[in-house]
Amino acid sequence: MEFQTETLGDGVVVIRGEGRLNMVSGPALRETVLRELEAGNPRVVVELDRIAFMDSSGLGALISCLKAAREKGGDLRIVGPSTQVSMVLRLSNVDTILPPFESVEAAYRD
Amino acid sequence: MTESVTSLLFNSPPDDVDAVHEFLEQVWQANPGIGEFDRMAFETALIELSANVIQHASGEGGVTCVLSVTSDADGLHASLSDTADAGGIVLVDRAMPDELSESGRGIALIQALVDELRYERIDERNVWTIRKAPQAIEPPAAAEA
Repeated sequence: MEFQTETLGDGVVVIRGEGRLNMVSGPALRETVLRELEAGNPRVVVELDRIAFMDSSGLGALISCLKAAREKGGDLRIVGPSTQVSMVLRLSNVDTILPPFESVEAAYRD
Repeated sequence: MTESVTSLLFNSPPDDVDAVHEFLEQVWQANPGIGEFDRMAFETALIELSANVIQHASGEGGVTCVLSVTSDADGLHASLSDTADAGGIVLVDRAMPDELSESGRGIALIQALVDELRYERIDERNVWTIRKAPQAIEPPAAAEA
């Protein structure tokens, strides 16, 4: 899977992918996020509305990216998870550290 | 519900979990009466199981798997038989790791999603069985638009 990026200024970058976030695509997400962090964009939004399916490897990649963003003084926030992605987040208790935001704009309103 | 059994044989490498997703797509098309939440929970559990088997066998030079899925009145059943060495995956009740952990959730997720997860060693094969009864757990609240 290829991830598209869109920088919005003020260190905010939106990352979008389409398909399944798993052991195959997780490393590509990580590479994309790390590249954006190096480029000075530590406030990451991952738009998940076109991610139809996520497994625990994909979730691990998201958490790894969240930790990397926080180490750079930023954060990682998610927007638009599908029902399946929300189910995995909830059963893993990860929804407590990655609550979904309703839009890209809402993710970094603070 | 009419009983239907379908099977998939895959080799990893080169196959990966996408082969299982594509196979399940056909199962869902052939069984339109299965509820959306049951499909979602079963597919998530079966993908976690397949990913675990593929990952643990990657150091052994690969693995051949035969996956059968049955749908009947008791729910959805999967049997995954693989050629990996015994003992690669230890099946015990797993607690969900803490929120910031990057791995170790696969088995715990399966146990949260399905009603039965069993392991047997039969004729030099690892045989994994999972069963998901219809609507055993509440569907999650719909994601915010």
